Amino acid sequence: MLHILRKSWYQKTSTQKHIFILIAIGPALLGYLLFTLYPNITSVYYSLLYWTGVTKPDYVGFDNYVKIAHDHFFWNALYHNFLYTLIIPPLILIISLFLAYLLTYKGYRESSFYKVLYFFPNVLPVVVISLLWAFIYDGNFGLINAFLKMISIDIGEYYWLGHEKTAFWAIIPPTVWAGVGFYVVIIMNAMAAIPKSLYESAILEGASHTQRLYHITIPLINGVLRVCLLFIVLGLFRNFELILVLTNGGPSGSTDVVGLYMFNYAFGSKVGTATIHDYGYASAIGMCLFVILISIKLIMDKFLPDKTVEF
Amino acid sequence: MVEKRLLSDYIWRFVLLIWGSSILLPLIWIFYEALKTNVEFFADIWALPSKANWKNFSNAWTMFGIGQSVLNTLYYVGASLIIGTFLVALKTYALVRLEFRGRKLIWGLIMLSLFLPGITALVPQYVLMRSIHLTNSLTGLVILDSFGENVFFLLLLAGFMKSIPKEVEESAFIDGASLFKVFFRIILPLSMPGIVTVAIFRFLGLYNNFIGPFIYLSDQKKYTIGLNIYNANTMMQYKSNWVTLFAGVMIVLIPSIVVYVLFQKRILEGATLGAVKG
Repeated sequence: MLHILRKSWYQKTSTQKHIFILIAIGPALLGYLLFTLYPNITSVYYSLLYWTGVTKPDYVGFDNYVKIAHDHFFWNALYHNFLYTLIIPPLILIISLFLAYLLTYKGYRESSFYKVLYFFPNVLPVVVISLLWAFIYDGNFGLINAFLKMISIDIGEYYWLGHEKTAFWAIIPPTVWAGVGFYVVIIMNAMAAIPKSLYESAILEGASHTQRLYHITIPLINGVLRVCLLFIVLGLFRNFELILVLTNGGPSGSTDVVGLYMFNYAFGSKVGTATIHDYGYASAIGMCLFVILISIKLIMDKFLPDKTVEF
Repeated sequence: MVEKRLLSDYIWRFVLLIWGSSILLPLIWIFYEALKTNVEFFADIWALPSKANWKNFSNAWTMFGIGQSVLNTLYYVGASLIIGTFLVALKTYALVRLEFRGRKLIWGLIMLSLFLPGITALVPQYVLMRSIHLTNSLTGLVILDSFGENVFFLLLLAGFMKSIPKEVEESAFIDGASLFKVFFRIILPLSMPGIVTVAIFRFLGLYNNFIGPFIYLSDQKKYTIGLNIYNANTMMQYKSNWVTLFAGVMIVLIPSIVVYVLFQKRILEGATLGAVKG
């Protein structure tokens, strides 16, 4: 009976169903094709153009890619990306793992409050994070210089972001500071899924916290750590807003990264030394970035096999 | 797991406290500097203000034109939030609960965007928006953010909608309810927890969006609040009225703090969901 009813409903309302599906999916799909898929595909073609954005585009074939190969600003930016990739992900992961372990297994009264507090930078606008750190690094009134003065190291009005030597390193603390909270929460969740009984037997056998961390926790959450690492590394290549606000790649390109370099070629007020926009060249850099991102993913899949232990 | 409190525990608690302070102290610092006069500020950056100078906040409000940018932000964030969330709910329902030809194809097409790094599309997207005259327009940004794809929200909602039992829907159909009625009266209310989570994350994403307004809005009267404070900071190099800028930064922070305090539980849960799916 129910079966017949259901069938007749489907027949009766099939026009209505089609209208509903058209309304539900049509606009969203059209928007997706137009604003997401189409631009991603056209960027391949754009990378073969010379186009200031104002005048007519010229087709230049692979000239942009040849130019990239000889563009030392590009290689400089890519070099910075790689250095940051070597330094920042281990810092974020080690700090997050350590904090997450303390919060999960030490059971201090304040732990649940810290979990919420640590995550807080992740909901802040990147502009606020950048400005906050710009104030901290300021030469005139910055917190760092004031702190150094307090412990009687007076370095005068030193602008941490204004010197080539320190600006590069100054990008690291805000990035780590803003990132750790997210991974603390992710890792804590993974730790919560580990059966308590494993730790209990380890404690009975007299395993210390360090031993438990190395022999139980880390192997069991290996899969999650791997995903975290991939997230952080891809994020470092993708996100450039923090650097855009803090230094815009300067002084003299000492903090430039590939994403920001591309962005400035298309939209920025200054590019290296010139101020010419070139949508074609920017797209070619974007394509290189795309290839880099894919390679990172493949390399990490190959060399960091998913060794998650089942329990 | 109750264990003895040892000396090492004091060290670990201190470590936790240090990281916590690194987040809290700079924010507190900015807050009390925002209540100083410029003279006090330059005299000693540690000292507390002699009296709370709330005027800095009203000065920041008028000097940077925050009133206008709050309205712009309300329009941009509000409209994109409502349209975008509604569209994603509607689309998810059709894709997850209804059967029709081409469904798998459309699903696959949308999942394709997981492999696209948004960054390479910035330039063609801008050219496209320019050719349909949607640059330097808040409405343009609303359209871009409401209709552009975000798989994260689709997947998050799909999880919620899949868990609604089919019987609820079917009995309504048998009673003669239309699909529209079922969607609005049954599916929407039942997947509210998921929709609220999506809305919170959309809000954070939109409110924190810097690069979008930075690329698309050239007219200062159309600036969102984040872009406005960025601009104000650039001007400070010539004005050096820092206490007012600090007050401005505090104003930008208020919505983030309010939303986080109200929804921290959902935000922490949602963040984990995203990572598992991601």
